[in-house]
Order: sequence, then structure tokens, then C-alpha cells
Amino acid sequence: MDKKIDLSIIITLSESNTYDNIAELYNAYKKSIEETGLNYEFIYVTDRDSQNILNELFKLKENVKDIEIIELAKWFGDAAALNAGFEQSSGEMILTLPGYRQIDEIELPRFINSYKNVDMLVAVRSRKKDNFLHRLQANFFHYIVKLTLGMNFNDLGCIVRIFSRELLDKIYIYGDQHRFLPILASRSGFKVKEYDVAQYYTDISKRVYSVGHYTDRFVNFISIFFLVKFTKKPLRFFGFPGILIFALGSLLALFLFVQRTFLGVGLADRPLVLVSILLIVFGIQLFAIGLVAEIIIFTHSKESKEYIIEEIFHVEKENKIQEKEKVKVKESIKN
Amino acid sequence: MDLSVVVPVFNEELSIQPLYDAITKALSNLNLDYEILLIDDGSSDNTFLNAHNLAEKDTRLKVIKLKRNYGQTIGLHAGFQNASGKIIVTMDGDLQNDPDDIEKMIEEINKGNDIVLGWRHDRQDKMVSRKIPSKIANKLISKLTGVPVKDNGCAIRAYRSEVIKKFPMYSEMHRLLPVMTALSGAKFTQIKVKHHARKFGSSKYGLSRIYKVMIDMVALKIIFTFFYLPLYGFGIFAMIFGILCLLTLVLGFFQILLYPGTSLVTIMGTSLLLGSLSFFLLFLGIISDLIYQNGDIKIERLLKNRRMNKKIFYSFRRSN
Repeated sequence: MDKKIDLSIIITLSESNTYDNIAELYNAYKKSIEETGLNYEFIYVTDRDSQNILNELFKLKENVKDIEIIELAKWFGDAAALNAGFEQSSGEMILTLPGYRQIDEIELPRFINSYKNVDMLVAVRSRKKDNFLHRLQANFFHYIVKLTLGMNFNDLGCIVRIFSRELLDKIYIYGDQHRFLPILASRSGFKVKEYDVAQYYTDISKRVYSVGHYTDRFVNFISIFFLVKFTKKPLRFFGFPGILIFALGSLLALFLFVQRTFLGVGLADRPLVLVSILLIVFGIQLFAIGLVAEIIIFTHSKESKEYIIEEIFHVEKENKIQEKEKVKVKESIKN
Repeated sequence: MDLSVVVPVFNEELSIQPLYDAITKALSNLNLDYEILLIDDGSSDNTFLNAHNLAEKDTRLKVIKLKRNYGQTIGLHAGFQNASGKIIVTMDGDLQNDPDDIEKMIEEINKGNDIVLGWRHDRQDKMVSRKIPSKIANKLISKLTGVPVKDNGCAIRAYRSEVIKKFPMYSEMHRLLPVMTALSGAKFTQIKVKHHARKFGSSKYGLSRIYKVMIDMVALKIIFTFFYLPLYGFGIFAMIFGILCLLTLVLGFFQILLYPGTSLVTIMGTSLLLGSLSFFLLFLGIISDLIYQNGDIKIERLLKNRRMNKKIFYSFRRSN
């Protein structure tokens, strides 16, 4: 009964997202994962409001044993669902799969087998047959990521990813940040690699997005951008524009002061005075905000120094036994 | 254990053997119970293997392999946490520091100092790209912070372990450690150390660090001078701008009295902006106070044991 599980497959489903027929997809996934010969478990995460999904899942569970269903009270986004599934899982490797077919499942064994010497492998759909507009927007999005964060990813929309347990232990994601997990992972020093797989034919024409979808994505991206760039040393970020704007305002004030005292130009009816004061005030505000952020980091730094010692090696004095140990230092800040 | 030598190394496979030889040779004629901690910061070459082979023969050598490359601060931190010596000496793994200086540093610790900093008075690096920028930075830092550290970048330092283990280590904190410890009241001294030119590998630091180090120092200085009581720190500035706001308001009244009929927009606008800034800072102060109260690290408690342990706790003599 208690065989060790190598691979935990986490699938997050919600009725607010697209999903395919669950039983059919399960069988397809299962068939190709069995080819790898790994011990696996399926974990489905959904919420109480998605009754149709729940019904289908429970019907599926009657016939097969290796699935686990997690029912969340409320849907807090894919990342939260992924975390819930992760806490339940026991495999050393985690594979996330989408609730609809993004890639051809016969590619899965090849994908899983090439997960070696890296901490995370991300599937990249080959978009040769894809709609031109889709390709354009995807390229644009990834170009922006590359430009702002300096990280080269080609398909952050693809949920098919395999990674080590440690990765999600260390990285806390929430909301819809699961899309950006590779970015956060590679920022934390994990090795992330991309892997080309074939796109499934239904995935090619399916996606039509609303305006809300794009705003969501944009807001998410902004939050990731700040997280990646400035959380470690916030004053470096806030300080620079703060000082710059303050200096600009001060220069303007000096200019006005010179005009007033030496050239006798009255100040009472000049809007430039207000601009100068506004700039000074704004500069101070930015700097102060950066300082508050710095105080947060400083006073809470005990929690955030997370690192993993892979091995401590030394020979004891008497018995000369080499001790190998794996020490995890500090739990992550999840709570 | 009297002494722990902590050396973070990253891709230094060629330096390991000479480094080990130099340290053991330097410490061999001191009658000391010591350990060497090599922290392999996720190297991709044979650093760990070489260190491992040495550790098999020597019980005093402890090798710690980190899972990934976390940077020097975390490397040092891992070393501090696993060090059991009463004195901790840190060094660079690139052989530019000379372990012969350790003896002098221990002597200084025995005189009652908490921290002994190395000072590379005769630095063996490139003039334009390394020495001049770092000279300027060090001057600026000591002006800004009021802590006269002559060489913030020198890696060879000795600490009393109970002092250093309390300090927060994150981001690039290792650079700021001298200033931070000094600001919190630790007694420090500086001694001249030898410095060698690089033999193996290439330098891992660039020129672009100055802005970062400077702004980090400014942050530290502000936190340590005003903001160990955040409400007090922000409160002072809130008060200054509050007073300025009132002054401009009074000026506005005089304008009404002396020049009736002129526009009041600019003077009143200025007054309002300054007033809003004053409130803004006050509220930020309240928020920071909340954060500080709930945080783990309280500046005023960092060195609370210092006085009690001031007596010389350790002595050594040369064996020959």
C-alpha cells in the first residue's frame, strides 16, 4: 500500500477557467505517465462553487484509486490552489498539468525523462501552427519580460512544468502568480530550463481573451516586477527617483529664489512655485516609503534568510566517520 | 573551540589547496584549538571535491556545501551558524588575504575589541577600476555614517562570535557589517593587513556597486540614528514640515493684511502641500512603529550582553 511516490501530479480546476472533459483527460494523462514507470499520484484541486467539476471528479474517483480531490472553500486563484495541492502531495517531483489540453500528452514521458540536473523544467509549446495574433501577443509579452527582468522565457502561459519539492517549499506564490513561477524560481537561484513540446490541436484555436484577462495579467506582471527587482533592497529603488525628484524640485526652488531676490520677479501668481514644492514633497514621500520598506526588510530579515545546506562534511576526531547530512535551515515564511 | 576560520568559496578549485596550506601554516605555531570552515557557495567546478579530499585527512576542516549560489552574505551566514569558535575570522577564498594576519587580529580581540577589521594599506589591485572608486566610496561612507572605517571591502576580519551571530544577514549585508556593528555600539579597531595580487581566477566584483553600497549605508545610518524608534524618527520630520506649513500660513495672512487683493493661490498651496507631507510622514511613522514592534530584530537589543562579557575571555601563547 505505502509505496513511495516519485511524482505528484497537481491539476487545478475551476469553473471560471477553461477545462476539458475530466475523465477523458485523466485517462490520457495517466496512460502516458505510466510509460515512465514512476510511482505517481494525481491531485485535483478545485473549489466548492465548481459543482460540475466536483461531481465529475467524484464519479471518477469511484473507479480509480490513485486520485485525491481537494475542495477549497473559495477560489483564490491557481497559485493558491497549487499550494493547497502541494501541501497534500508527497512526491519528490511535482508535475503541474493544465485542466485543458495544452500539449500533446504523448510528449509527457519524453518531457518527464528529460528532467535532469535542473530544478525546474518548463514546457514550451511550439507555436508553428498557432494563430498569428496569438503568436504576436505571446511574443510581445515575453519580450516585455525579457526587457524588464532580463530573463528569457518563451512560454509562461504553458502550465506543464515539472520541478523539485524544494522549489515550492522555498517560493511562496499567491493569486495568479503561478504563471510566473519560473521567473521567481530562477530569481531565487534555482536552475530553470525550457523544453520544446508539441502543442495539442485543440489548444491552437481555442483561446479568446477578454479585456479583464489582460488587465489581470498586467497587474500580476507589475507585482512580479516589483517582487523580483526591489524587495531585497527597497531603498535602492525608491531612493533613486526620490532623490532625483527632490533635487529637481530644489533646483526649481533655487531658480525661483534667485529670480525673486535679484531680479525682483514676484512669486504670488506663479504656478511654478507650486510645481517646485510638489516635486520636493513627492521626492520626500518616495524616499520615506522606501525607508519604511527597508525597515520591514530589516526587522523581518530573520525569517527571510532561507538557504539550504546540501552537505556538511568533516571527519570526527576519534572514530573518523564521515557524516553526511542534509539540513534545512529555517522554514519558509508561508504562515 | 577557540577559533573558527570561515572562508566562503565560489569556483575556486585551484585556490583550495594553497589556501588550506597557508591557513594551517599560519596557525600551526599558535597554541590554538581551531577549525576551518570552507563554505562552498554552489560552485560549478571541483571546489567541493578538492575541499572534500582535504577534509578526509584533517579533522579540523569542515566543508559546508550550499545547494545553490546564494552570494557571499549567505555563505558567511552559513559559516557563522556552524562555527563553534569563540572568535570567528572571515577571509576571502581567493588568496588575496594573508592568514599570517590572524595572529595580530586575535591579539586585538584579546585587548577587548569586539571586531577587528583588516585594512589593505598596500592594495594589490588595478588602480583605476578598483582602488580609486573604493577609496572614494570609503571616504564617503565614513563621512555619511560617522564611522571611520578605512576599508569596507576588506574581507579579513575577526569577530567575537557572540557579537556577530546576532546581526541580521541578508542581501549584501556582509559589506555593511563593520558599519552596522559599529553603529550598534560594538568596539572595533583596524589593523594593517597584507594583500596579495590574484593568482588564480578572475575578480568577481565590478565597479557598479558603489551606488548600491552607498544607498545601503544611508539606509542603515538612518535606521540606526532615527528609526530605532520609528515614530520618533518620522515624528521629527513631520514636526519640521508642520512648522513650515504653519509659517507659510502666517505669511499668507500677512500677505492679506499688507497687500490686499493679490492672489493667495501659491502661498496657500505651498502651505497645504507641506501640511499634507507632515501628516503623511506622521502616519508612515505610525505604520513603521507597528512593523518594528512586530519584527524579530530590535536594534537596541542587538548588543545587550556586551558589558557583562567584557573581561578577556581567552588567552593564547606561542608554542615556540
